[in-house]
Amino acid sequence: METVKEMEGSKTDINELNDTARRIRINLLKMLTNAGSGHTGGSLSAADIVTALYFAKMKHDPKNPKWADRDRFILSKGHAAPLLYTVLAECGYFDKSELMTLRRLSSRLQGHPDCKALPCVEISTGSLGQGLSIANGVALSGKIDNASFRVYVLLGDGETQEGQVWEAAMTAAHYKLDNLCAIIDRNRLQIDGAVEEVMSIEPVVDKWEAFGWNVIETDGHDIAKILSALNEAEKVKAKPTMIIAHTIKGKGVSIFEGKVEYHGIAPTKEELEIALKELEA
Amino acid sequence: MEILSKLHAKNLVQWAKDKPDVLVLSADLTSSTEIDLFRNTYPDRFISFGVAEQNMMSFAGGLAREGFFPFVHTFAVFIYRRAYDQIAMSISYPNLPVRMFGFLPGVTTPGGATHQAIEDISIIRSLPNMTILECGDATDVETVLDCAHAVNGPVYIRMLRGEIPRLFDKSEPMILRKSRQLSRGNDITILSSGICTEEAIRAVEALKKQGISITHLHISTLKPFNDSAVLEALSANKYGVITMENHTIIGGLGSIVAEKMAEQGTSNKLFRIGIKDTYLHGASREYLMKEYGIDATVLIRTVEDITDFRFNITEGDLKKVHIAPMHSDAKAEAL
Repeated sequence: METVKEMEGSKTDINELNDTARRIRINLLKMLTNAGSGHTGGSLSAADIVTALYFAKMKHDPKNPKWADRDRFILSKGHAAPLLYTVLAECGYFDKSELMTLRRLSSRLQGHPDCKALPCVEISTGSLGQGLSIANGVALSGKIDNASFRVYVLLGDGETQEGQVWEAAMTAAHYKLDNLCAIIDRNRLQIDGAVEEVMSIEPVVDKWEAFGWNVIETDGHDIAKILSALNEAEKVKAKPTMIIAHTIKGKGVSIFEGKVEYHGIAPTKEELEIALKELEA
Repeated sequence: MEILSKLHAKNLVQWAKDKPDVLVLSADLTSSTEIDLFRNTYPDRFISFGVAEQNMMSFAGGLAREGFFPFVHTFAVFIYRRAYDQIAMSISYPNLPVRMFGFLPGVTTPGGATHQAIEDISIIRSLPNMTILECGDATDVETVLDCAHAVNGPVYIRMLRGEIPRLFDKSEPMILRKSRQLSRGNDITILSSGICTEEAIRAVEALKKQGISITHLHISTLKPFNDSAVLEALSANKYGVITMENHTIIGGLGSIVAEKMAEQGTSNKLFRIGIKDTYLHGASREYLMKEYGIDATVLIRTVEDITDFRFNITEGDLKKVHIAPMHSDAKAEAL
């Protein structure tokens, strides 16, 4: 395991990214409240990670979503769709006004991402445990084609209780998929309660190392550290990297932070007001 | 009758020669699904997964997403029972061109209930975007690859291995969405699929000698099910329609035909020969076909019941069936 010490990127860049992440939190909460349903906690916990990927790390082109050399991002924890949609809109893949159609009849913004409806989504996800396997397939395709793109996949920590994740963990190491970087949003909560009480996944670092992965632990809300970890991962050869990003579920809004009940519900109008006051302060 | 051995092994290697986008995926059943020659010939296009089918299916979705054509090989039961959610969400929902080759349909294995795929068609046909093909002889096995590859979406293939008889002329390939007309007549329509077609051919030959006029169609595309020759044959008969399949009658060919007949308002009777809502057990294919009532004799008895004739056809009157060896070089293992 490596611990990331160095900070990368200038202070101004990081301040700008933090500001983007703040805007994304605001917009995703607005869309959730407008929809009246959706996943709040896990969208907020992963907001800094996905912001770092799309606004600083990944090669991608909103004008050309199918650009062959783009880095791929697979949201294995598909229930964080509100976060993904908000980030994609912020990047310019579609107009931000469409965010208000989340979970509406005929909307391209389904409750869980649908790649047929919305082509800038790499693959449809929502049934947990499948994204890492899909990412492996994409990463091996890149190897076969000698392509330069990298593959990023974001998993929930509760999601790693799915057996398929460990089938995929074996496979990525077996095929030395060093163009693959997985990230666990380690927010420590799942629907039924604390991950450690529902079904312990510890020792999480040892497990992934034992499966042949390069493992990096980082603070999942410190964008500079997230970027350092992502850059570090890129240097490692012949092994896939797993970044364990320690996060707080509901991060950014005091009334949602660490509250298991906000896993799968949208904020009420009153809660949104409180949230906006905090985020816009 | 010409009997061919390990046809798929050689055929796939030849067929895939100029198709670099075709990758073959295996879950520890490489020789058992006759892809060992492919592995040895094109090692760079062969991906091993170990005993982990769920990961293999989602991985196939990822490869297909990037423009490859994954040809997944394993026993049928491990495709649809073990990895159903992965097929549904990683392959059929995004409508990706993954080709799944399911071996050991129904009674074709003495491995017992754990290895006998008796409800695969029923389960898989309820998935949107899926195409389902089934092989009944050597020519089907040789030409199913072109049919599957012509589909811009996922395909499930009910596949045969080992020693396979050639029932259909080598020059007449399987055609996507088309049945094969094996006999034309107006008393009874018989629709058979897979290994049941060989049994039906034996029975039809004997029945025709008794003066019964039969339309016999071999079905290889089970989904979509819209061949006009088949739909017309459902009502063009005096006594009724008989379906015959190596699969449970719940959800398979018999159910598909029942749905079509009801929708068309066909008033003719339907008789479904197939596995009657039960698990099988380990025994030879010939024994199981007799015990579970999916052989030529059962078809003759069914025609007798429908027409109210008695033909006095004995087993000795039927053309000899090909008996496949259970343990031999033709098979990789005893399953």
